Amino acid sequence: MRTTDISIDRHELGGLAPLLLKLAGASLVAGVAGIALMATVGGRGLDRILQSWLVGFTFFLNLSLGALFFVLLHHLTRAGWSVVVRRLAEGMAALFPLLALLAVPIVLWLPRLYRWAEPGVVVHDPILAGKAGWLDPTFFTIRLGVYLLIWSVLGLYLFSRSVRQDATGDPRLTVTMEKRSAPGMVLFALAVNFCAFDLLMSLDPHWFSTIFGVYLFAGSVVVFFAVLPHLTHWLQHHEELLHTVTVEHFHDMGKMLFAFVVFWAYIAFSQYMLIWYANLPEETEWFLRRQSGQWVWFSLFLAIGHFVIPFILLLPRSSKRKIHRLLLVSAWMVLLHWVDIYWIVMPELSPGRVPLDPLDLFVMLTMAGAYGTAWVLLLRRRSLVPARDPRLAESLAFENA
Amino acid sequence: MAEAPPATRQPLILGEKSLGQVSRDILSLVEGGATPLWWTAFLISFTVLMIGAAAITYQIATGVGTWGLNKTVGWAFDITNFVFWIGIGHAGTLISAVLYLLRQRWRTSVNRSAEAMTLFAVLCAGLFPVIHLGRPWFAYWMAPYPNTRGSLWINFRSPLVWDFFAISTYLTISFLFWYFGMIPDLATLATRAKSRLRRRLAGFLSFGWSGSTSTWLRYETVYLLLAGLATPLVVSVHTIVSWDFATALIPGWHSTIFPPYFVTGAIFSGFAMVLTLLLIARKTMGLEDYITVRHVDAMCKILIATGGIVGFSYLIEVFTALYSGDPYEQFAVVNRAFGPYAWAYWLVIACNVVAPQLLWFKKLRHNMLVVWIISIFINVGMWFERFVIIVTSLHRDFVPSSWAMYRPTIIEIATLAGTFGLFFTCFLLFARFVPVIAISEVKGVLGPGHRHEEAGS
Repeated sequence: MRTTDISIDRHELGGLAPLLLKLAGASLVAGVAGIALMATVGGRGLDRILQSWLVGFTFFLNLSLGALFFVLLHHLTRAGWSVVVRRLAEGMAALFPLLALLAVPIVLWLPRLYRWAEPGVVVHDPILAGKAGWLDPTFFTIRLGVYLLIWSVLGLYLFSRSVRQDATGDPRLTVTMEKRSAPGMVLFALAVNFCAFDLLMSLDPHWFSTIFGVYLFAGSVVVFFAVLPHLTHWLQHHEELLHTVTVEHFHDMGKMLFAFVVFWAYIAFSQYMLIWYANLPEETEWFLRRQSGQWVWFSLFLAIGHFVIPFILLLPRSSKRKIHRLLLVSAWMVLLHWVDIYWIVMPELSPGRVPLDPLDLFVMLTMAGAYGTAWVLLLRRRSLVPARDPRLAESLAFENA
Repeated sequence: MAEAPPATRQPLILGEKSLGQVSRDILSLVEGGATPLWWTAFLISFTVLMIGAAAITYQIATGVGTWGLNKTVGWAFDITNFVFWIGIGHAGTLISAVLYLLRQRWRTSVNRSAEAMTLFAVLCAGLFPVIHLGRPWFAYWMAPYPNTRGSLWINFRSPLVWDFFAISTYLTISFLFWYFGMIPDLATLATRAKSRLRRRLAGFLSFGWSGSTSTWLRYETVYLLLAGLATPLVVSVHTIVSWDFATALIPGWHSTIFPPYFVTGAIFSGFAMVLTLLLIARKTMGLEDYITVRHVDAMCKILIATGGIVGFSYLIEVFTALYSGDPYEQFAVVNRAFGPYAWAYWLVIACNVVAPQLLWFKKLRHNMLVVWIISIFINVGMWFERFVIIVTSLHRDFVPSSWAMYRPTIIEIATLAGTFGLFFTCFLLFARFVPVIAISEVKGVLGPGHRHEEAGS
C-alpha cells in the first residue's frame, strides 16, 4: 500500500488564484467585447446572440449538473477513491446561482427562442393551443426557477457541509451528507428531466421523446468527467497542487468517462433507432431536420466524434493511465459535448444550415470567464481537498487492482 | 446494528471464520446430504414442474387455441411470462459483472446463487417463445444458416429475431461466467471429497485446478475480461426485449424511454427475486454469517434506486402522453389507469412504486421478514407490469369495433406455474450439488487475521 504524506502537500489555490482570476477575467472581457463587436460591426441580431447564448448556457449548466451528480453519487455509494477530487466538483456544483443569472436573457426574450411563447403562433396551431397550459411563459419561468433552486440548494448544501468538515473534522457530517443525498438524487433526477423537456425539447414544441431527459443527463456526466481530469492536471502542473491525486485516480476518471460515453451512445441510439424504425411523422420531423442540408455532416460528425472515436481511444487500459493520452481524449469530449448541445439547439432555429459563427466562440468565452471567476472566488481560501474527510486515507491509498 | 464511523468499512463476513470453517459451512448441504426440508421443497417443486409439463404437452398436441388469445389480443400471457423471466435473470449478471467492475466486494456472498438464478430464469423464459411457435420442433429455423428450404430466411428486420440472438448469447456468457467462477470451488470440493466418485468428478469438472499462483493470475484476468464482456449483455438483452414493443406503432408500446426503463425494471425484479430466494436460503442453510444484514441492506438500496427509476419512467410516460397532444397516446394512458384493467395497473403502482418506499427506513431494511414480503410484492408487481403493458395496449386498438378482453386459460396458468416449478427444481438441485456461495472469493474478503487451521481447506 502506498502512503502519501499530505501534510507536505499544499492544497490551497493561494498564489494561483490571482492568475486564474486574471485568465477568467480576460476570457470574460474578450467574450463580451466579441459579442458587442459581432452585434454592432458584424450585424448579428439579438435572435442570433440568444441562440448562441442558449447553447453556451446549456453547456455550463450541464457541467454543473454532471458535477452535482458526481457529488451525490459519491455520497450515496460511500465511495472511497473519489474523495481527493470531490472538492473540485463541489465547487462546480455550487455555481447554480450564477447559472440562474445567466438564464435571465433566455427568460427575458423567450419568444425569440421558443415558438410556443408567441401568442400569435399558438392561436393558429391546435396542438400548441392544447399545450398552452404547460408551455406558458410565466409557468415556464417559474419551473426553470424551481429547477435552479433545487440544484442551488443541493449544491450549496453539500459544499458548505464539506467545507465545514475541513474546519471541524466531524465525521458525522459525512453521515449527514450521505443521508441527504438520497432524497437529493430523486429531486435532481426529476429536475434534470423536466428541465431538458422545457429548455431544449420545447424548441420544437410539437415533438416529444420520453428518453430526451436521460439523453441530456448522459451528456452532462460526460462533460463533467471530461473537464475534471483537465482541471486536476492543470492544478498539478502549476504550483505543484493536488499531488494527492495519482494516476490511479486519473484511471478511475477515465473509466467513468468511458462508461458515460458508452451510456450516451446507448441512449442516443435508443432514441434514434426507435423513432427511425416506427417512422411516425410527428416524431421523425426532429431527426429529419438533422438529416437535411448541411446538418447531415454535422450529425455524422457527432455520432462518430462523440462515440466511435472516444470508444476506441479510451478502451485500452493504458490510455486511461497515461495522463497525456487521457487529457487528449477528454479535451476532445469537451468539444464534442458542445457540438452535441449545438446539434440539439441549432437545427430547430436554423434548419438546413449550420450557422457556425465567431459569436458562438465569444459566448463560450463569456460564460467560461464568468463560470471560472465564480469557481475561483468560491474556492480561493478553501482547501482543494476535503482534508479531514474520514475516507481521505482510503482515497490516498487507493490502487486499481 | 450500531452506526459505524464512516472511516471504517464493516466486515463482509461475520463470526470470525477460519478458512476451514468457511468451506465446511458452505459445503454443508453438498457434503452432508439432503435434509428432509430439502426433499419436501424438491418434491413440491418437481410436482409443479410436472403439472407444467403436462400443460405444455397438451397445448402442443392441441394447438395454440388452448390459450385465451383472440384476434385483437394476439400476444398476452406467454410474452408476459417471457419478459418476466428474462428480467429475473438480470440481477445475476449485474451482481457478477457490473458490481465486480465497480469494486463492490460484498457481491461475493451472493453472486454464485444469483448467477445460477440467471441461468434458470433464462431457461424458463426461453420456453415461451418456443411454445408460441406452435410447431416447436421447427425452433431451429430461427437460426440463420444456409438451408435447403428454398430462400426461406428469418426476418432479420424483426426484433424478435434479435431477441433470439441476444438471449442465446446471454445464456452462453452467463453459463461461462457462472461455471468459470466455480472452478476453484469445484477443486475444493474434490480435495475434500470422501468418496472416489465425487473426487474424480469434481476434479474433472475443475479441469485439474492446481491453485498455483500463475493459475490464479490467469484466472483473475479471464474473470475480469468476462465481467467486461458480460456488462454490455446486461443491458443488451432487455433493451432488445423492449424493442419487441417499442419499435411498434402501438400507443403505450412505442416510447423511446423503453430500453433503459426495461433494463432497470429487469434489474429491479431480479434483485427482488434474489432476495426472495436468498432470505430463505440463508435461514434454512444457516448462512447468516455469510449473507449478512449488510448484504440485504445493500440489495434493498438497489431496490430503492432501480424501483425509483421504474417509477420515474411511469411518470415520464404519463406526462409525455399528456404533453404530446396525441389523442391515441392519451387514450392509452387513460385506458390503463381507468379502463377495464385498471385494477392491474394500480396493483403495479402499489407493488412497484409504493411498497419499495418502505425500504427507505433502515429499521424495515433490517427486518428480514418485512424485506422478504416486500420482495414478493415486487415480484408480483413486475409480472403485472408486463401484463399491463402488453394487454392494455392491445385490447383496445385503433378500431373500436374490434375491442376485446383477454383472460388467461387454465392451461396458460398451469404453464406459468410449471416454469416456477422448473425454476425452483433447478435451484434446489443447484443448492444440493454445488457450493451456493463462492468459497474462494469469500475467503478473499475475510480480511486480515483469519485463522489457518488445517491444510487443504
